[in-house]
Amino acid sequence: MGTSITSWENVSAYFTFADNPLALMLFSLGVAGIVVGLIRFIMKHEAEAFDNHK
Amino acid sequence: MATETPTLESLQASLDAQQAIFNMHQAMNVEVFYWWCTAIMVMIHAGFLAYEMGASRSKNALAAGVKNILALAVIIPTFYLFGWWIYNAFPGGLMPVEASAALPWAQSMGPDVQDMGTGIFWAAFALFGATTGSIMSGAVIERIRVSAFLILTVILGSGVWILAGAWGWHPDGWMLTEMGYHDVGASGVVHAIAGFFTLGVLINLGPRVGKFINGVPQQIRAHNLPMTLIGLMMIIFGFFGFLGGCIIFNGGDTGWTTIYNNPTNLSAFAFNTLMGFAGGVIGCYIATRDPFWTMSGGLVGIISVAAGLDLYDPGLAFIIATCVSFIAVGAAKLLEKKGIDDAVGAVAVHGVTGVVAVILVGVFAGGTPNVGGNPAISLYGQTICAIIMAVLGFVPGYTVSYLLKKFNMLRVPENVEVLGLDEVEILAHPYPETVPAKSGTTTNVGDLEAKGA
Repeated sequence: MGTSITSWENVSAYFTFADNPLALMLFSLGVAGIVVGLIRFIMKHEAEAFDNHK
Repeated sequence: MATETPTLESLQASLDAQQAIFNMHQAMNVEVFYWWCTAIMVMIHAGFLAYEMGASRSKNALAAGVKNILALAVIIPTFYLFGWWIYNAFPGGLMPVEASAALPWAQSMGPDVQDMGTGIFWAAFALFGATTGSIMSGAVIERIRVSAFLILTVILGSGVWILAGAWGWHPDGWMLTEMGYHDVGASGVVHAIAGFFTLGVLINLGPRVGKFINGVPQQIRAHNLPMTLIGLMMIIFGFFGFLGGCIIFNGGDTGWTTIYNNPTNLSAFAFNTLMGFAGGVIGCYIATRDPFWTMSGGLVGIISVAAGLDLYDPGLAFIIATCVSFIAVGAAKLLEKKGIDDAVGAVAVHGVTGVVAVILVGVFAGGTPNVGGNPAISLYGQTICAIIMAVLGFVPGYTVSYLLKKFNMLRVPENVEVLGLDEVEILAHPYPETVPAKSGTTTNVGDLEAKGA
């Protein structure tokens, strides 16, 4: 469903959703979200772990 | 048997076909070269992993390792999101130029039959960025919160260093075009930036519990010094990928050039990388007779000559590396006297050495011309740019860590630090079948003095 090509003739960028900038922006937001989510997850883990060892 | 007589047209067609094959293989060779440079650079991180875990006390060994692994994992995606764009957008200073092709939703930022360069250069630069994160990582072990460290490492590894790279490690960077800046092996843009960023963080982070008693520095022993030494040697191995990634493999008949487009070759890099390594080891051994510093001397030596790796006489490189080792050791002792607890000497090894290395290019290679109408290398230009590198590294490191400290997000609670991060956060033990080691605080003299430095 995400392919950006229908033939290998004269192809340049051929990765999934290469012809759909909106989708690529959404994926970028997803990447950012995962990184931010990781840091939030670690903060939560730290808070709980530190509370458990007061 | 009849043979066809070649025509001018058929000969031209054959020549064009041969040229196309040659061009394709040349482009593939470029890819192959940087692919393996990037792979070898991963060894830097394996080395930092071993060296930081070994430098920690056993109660913090796994926490130090996890922190280091996560640094690599967050710098790669954030460098994809904005690091590569910063490099392409800011060569002129603080005003961005058009660089939409480097944004993460551009067609050039993914698999492309016609583009055999972007991905491989992005990868190499991402690993350079990860190196800056690892440089900071060792200095802050045993008391920084992982969450705070990851915020800082993203800012350093995907932001600050690559802005310095755009300024001083880009064919259109203003430091080159205005000042004739020369830093082929990234002594300034990677090492000085990371070292001074780390200094800013360390000031706000404070020393480990027990590091200073009544202002007197204590020796906190590495729990596994042999692993630390092996880790450092792995970093040296990785340096060959790092420095290989600093040279430009050009198509056509140009051959190798520096990132500033000046002619050079891998032979030049080979001479001075090895001579720098050897000089650094010898210098740090004489200065300290300490195993950790002897091996760190290899790093000091390479970093001290990296900025002028393409220009130095190998004998001069050896002498520079030996002499700068004394400066690095002296800087580490001075920082400790000032109350800075840099667990692995990162500020001295990377920051101070990086700045000195940039200035020394002006001392020994001043007057060397640049191509493309850029100013020649000068002591003035190198000194100004070295100061800029130190400030550019220090200010964001200090500022962001200061804010994290204000919100109580920078450092683990004291009781957690005493108990050990592995016990509290990691829920695993590095050596479960042995008795947990106690805190390594043992003596009442500074690390270096205790080792006869």
